Amino acid sequence: MQTGTKRTRPELRNIWICPLLTAGCFFLIMAWFSCALAATDPPSLSTWFVNMNRYSAAAHGSLKCEECHGSMLVNGKNHPDSKVSDSLKIQIIRKFDYQVCRKCHKIAYARYLKGVHAKAAMEEKITGKPSKSGYAPTCGNCHLAHYSKSHLSRIQIGKQMTETCGKCHPAEKASYLANYHGKAAVNLGYDKSASCTDCHGAHTTLSLKNKDAVLNVCRRCHPDATPEFANIIIHNTKKNLDLKNNIKKTEFKWVHLLGVLSLIFVIVILAFFYMHAGLLMLRKLYEKLREHK
Amino acid sequence: METNQKPGESYQRFHVLHRLLHIIVIVNFTMLAITGFLLYFSGSVWASSLVSIIGGAKALGWLHRFCAVFLYIGVLVHILWLFYYKIVLKQNLSGAATMMPNKKDIKDIVQNVKYMFNKGNLPSFDRFSYLEKVDYWAVMLGMQSMGITGLMMWFPEFFSRIFPGYFINIAVHFHLHEAVLAVMYIGLVHMSDTHLVPDVFPLQKTIFTGRIDKLRFMEDHPEEWKRQQMTEINQP
Repeated sequence: MQTGTKRTRPELRNIWICPLLTAGCFFLIMAWFSCALAATDPPSLSTWFVNMNRYSAAAHGSLKCEECHGSMLVNGKNHPDSKVSDSLKIQIIRKFDYQVCRKCHKIAYARYLKGVHAKAAMEEKITGKPSKSGYAPTCGNCHLAHYSKSHLSRIQIGKQMTETCGKCHPAEKASYLANYHGKAAVNLGYDKSASCTDCHGAHTTLSLKNKDAVLNVCRRCHPDATPEFANIIIHNTKKNLDLKNNIKKTEFKWVHLLGVLSLIFVIVILAFFYMHAGLLMLRKLYEKLREHK
Repeated sequence: METNQKPGESYQRFHVLHRLLHIIVIVNFTMLAITGFLLYFSGSVWASSLVSIIGGAKALGWLHRFCAVFLYIGVLVHILWLFYYKIVLKQNLSGAATMMPNKKDIKDIVQNVKYMFNKGNLPSFDRFSYLEKVDYWAVMLGMQSMGITGLMMWFPEFFSRIFPGYFINIAVHFHLHEAVLAVMYIGLVHMSDTHLVPDVFPLQKTIFTGRIDKLRFMEDHPEEWKRQQMTEINQP
């Protein structure tokens, strides 16, 4: 190569690079964004429209529609009845008769009837109004009849149920995730740690206010637990302040108070020593720099 | 005195046991802080992926406990050494040249604050300055409370026989807050006061080699220096 060759001025060629790069980046971002959008699951609860790809991959994928939904005739009329103007606006989950589930899931259904969710549903039927925390859940509120998969690992189920239960019980979800059980099970995937249903039961859904019941639950994993062990607070939420049980309430207050006090202690000590260390360092730097003048 | 100073002249300051214990504290304290805060921040992706590298929640838990036991064995060795120091070597555990806080420390704090605002000279420290004493007692007392609260979380079945159940929850709070205090104290205050000060920057090697330069001895611990000179003169 000759060393003396004159380099061509690249200005004219390079002028196109910037907009091209920008356009490329824009294209890539849009492509990524649309892919991400396409990959997101359809609304988690069942709607009038069923995604057949997901349906056939799910646990109920081998069932025919009629097996759960019956024929398309209801009371001798076509179903859905197009003459009823808002027929498509009805909340299906509230409308669907989940007695059908009983055909195959007898034990789960029987357990559900024993639990607090079913009790709330009964009360709802009598009063006709939802309770303070919303409508009582039936099968479809927790399970996706069309899309739920079977043969999931303990950890996968635990993660899913934390989300599912957390929809209606956000404070309990947050406090569970702040507790060692939640951190180990949900965050770190430790399968020996307890998920929601390990304590509260899957379909019985106990609220665990009875002390003996709590102790039995603890003993499933902690066989040496004593009655006092059951007093360890798992769901450390502000909701505990509204408890009717006065002993529990004072215990919660002490935990909260001592937690805040120790935090204040830490902040005060750190503030003092940070100020001390900072000022001392400034002074020593000043001395050192003056020495070198 | 200073004119005759040889360039490499240094004095023994730390016994080999204390240097070893300091290294044990460094290693185990760092591991404890890492594993502990990985659990605390396990909700974030970076922490949970690091935990999966370590080997999951179980490995994380056992690593934390192993380091805690190792560190506490160090504390016990130190306490045994204190007995040996007192009974066999017949030395004093309190006095000017020891870790015991005394009235001079308060004077030194006042003097040091004056020095910060250019209202006086550096206080003349004895064998241990009050900052070194704070470092020592922070670890010494911190290990006790971290140990107790940690044991309460390790064996809740046993401790709920002794204490009410909600004490375990209080222990969780204390353990976390003191961990924050310890890491933020060691990370900034201990580092800047001992290692980053302009005179010894970037590292105070005395705790690793055990030897202190004559100049640093005279400037940082003048009281002890004076006492040492007196004994050297008195000895034939």
